[in-house]
Amino acid sequence: MNLITVAMFAIVLLISLGITAWAARRTRTTVDFYAAGKGLTAAQNGFALAGDWCSAAAFLGFTGLTALYGMDGALYAVGPLVAFCTVLFLIAEPLRNTGTYTIGDVIMYRMRQPPALAAAIVGTIVINLAYLIPQMAGAGVLIKLLFGFRYDVSVMLVGLGMIVYVAAGGMLATSWVQIIKAVLMLGAGAIVLFLALAGVGFDPLVFFASAEAKAGPNFLLPGNLLKNPFDEVSLGLGYMLGLAGLPHVMTRFYTVPDATTARRSVIWVMFLAGAFFACTTIFGVAAVHYLGPEALRVGNPGGNLTLPLLAQYLGGGKDTVGGQLMLGFVSAVAVATILAVVAGLTLATSGAVANDLYVNLFKKGKVEEHRQVMVARVTAVLVGVIATLLGILAEGVNVAVLVILAICIAASANFPVLVLSLFWRRFNTGGVVGGMGLGLISSVGLALIGPGYLGANAIWPLVNPTVVALPLGILGAVVGSLLAGRDPEHEKRFGEVTFRIQTGLRSNHP
Amino acid sequence: MGDAVKLSGAQIAPDAWIDGIESAEFKTLIDAKQRSIVPMIVIYVVGYIGLSVLAGFARNFLGTKVVGAVNLGFVLIAANYAMSWVLAIVYARISANRHDPLVKVVIDKAHAGGRAR
Repeated sequence: MNLITVAMFAIVLLISLGITAWAARRTRTTVDFYAAGKGLTAAQNGFALAGDWCSAAAFLGFTGLTALYGMDGALYAVGPLVAFCTVLFLIAEPLRNTGTYTIGDVIMYRMRQPPALAAAIVGTIVINLAYLIPQMAGAGVLIKLLFGFRYDVSVMLVGLGMIVYVAAGGMLATSWVQIIKAVLMLGAGAIVLFLALAGVGFDPLVFFASAEAKAGPNFLLPGNLLKNPFDEVSLGLGYMLGLAGLPHVMTRFYTVPDATTARRSVIWVMFLAGAFFACTTIFGVAAVHYLGPEALRVGNPGGNLTLPLLAQYLGGGKDTVGGQLMLGFVSAVAVATILAVVAGLTLATSGAVANDLYVNLFKKGKVEEHRQVMVARVTAVLVGVIATLLGILAEGVNVAVLVILAICIAASANFPVLVLSLFWRRFNTGGVVGGMGLGLISSVGLALIGPGYLGANAIWPLVNPTVVALPLGILGAVVGSLLAGRDPEHEKRFGEVTFRIQTGLRSNHP
Repeated sequence: MGDAVKLSGAQIAPDAWIDGIESAEFKTLIDAKQRSIVPMIVIYVVGYIGLSVLAGFARNFLGTKVVGAVNLGFVLIAANYAMSWVLAIVYARISANRHDPLVKVVIDKAHAGGRAR
């Protein structure tokens, strides 16, 4: 156990609990609980988006993948930035102009029919759980490693933290936890980058030459991790469209007062998170240069400890104060990262259950304000408990495939339904059910018979099925719409939808 | 906060959009948006999916050395970062300078129409 890690993490935890206590007093209405009163600035939401979107898979994973597999790691890192082009051009402003708290709001605003909302709820819950379980399991492994607690105790501690943040402080606390985490993450990244570059006279080309010399001539080529060429294409498609279908990131656009601020917050996150993603590629090749490929392969499954090990080396090495300090700092940031992301996921899932399912689907919107907030808080606790239990059950199970699955479903089921709801006149409830159904079933089905889950016995060759599931999702949406037949009243209302998407008129009126 | 937002929405008649959607001003806005957004979508989709396809099917080509040990693949990855950032700034500028004023014209007209009824 590293005392510096414990001390640093305790400081982060105390600050975030202080913020939660402050936020809890300001969270009285549903707009407070789900959308932080719609009062965040563009910069605040930009930092919070960076906090939400950079999971441990980005913070630790991209560096490790680059160190172990070369260019494929760099390809993993650039996609999440390009993904924000889709969000910026097509999603952020229309979403802010048509929805209130959830993605289900947008679908319901357009369709006005319960089956469409039900399909949106299923999509959100499946994606969020597929995303949450690996985060919980990863947190368990990391905390076990850092503090020496048992795995199940570690997962429970993370679960307790996220439940307190979300149930007590709602979106306001969750946003500030993400902002703090983003600042810490970017700070840690800047320090590591400076120290790494200082060792080679600020010439990053040295890293590439040295990494190639040490790890072999194929290291800088693509295909070391993703052997099947179609998996590279799936990765690209999944990222490009999947981010726009991830409920826990998209609901962040409801925390700002208008579409202009939503747009400016995307510009912020593209520079903040994009710069960090670019750095992970430098960190990866720098780790091979400084530590050598053998040292990184031993006791470093999936390469997730590469960044902490690099930080320790750059701080002065294993037995120095500087090395301990850097290792402690980076590890504490990693835990803070996971806590912020699981809090965001828990809140978005609570929104789908409490706002979409209970209030809008079961009670047709006829629920008193203070009761809605109470239901939302109770739901947050339940979602947190379920996620914690699933995280404990996931010990030793290969859950990495679930992250790919979450992105694949988001791209193949949620994205087509969301975009067609916003921009296609003939799209209808049949299309929502068809697109969500076929996208979801093909994503899950193909992932379960692929090598990510079955290993060498796989029936299907691709780890990431997006390249097939996405066309199927679109097909389901189009065929479902055509089969459901035309409804002149519904299509006439599309004019109102378009007007509101483009102008934001009455955007704060459900 | 929430109350203020609701008040500003309540001043507009519920059917104000019926005139708005048919107006010349709204059509101008939609045309202007499409003219700028569609080319940007083409650029980033071709740039990024092109990189992904090359990474899958032209692995040795991406291994062509460009600067020292850095090969074409890493140069194209760097180009994707630059492309995303440039497009973000261009989009933000076009939106603020061209689209937002057009939106304001449409909204002002809808407000006026809403009060007239």
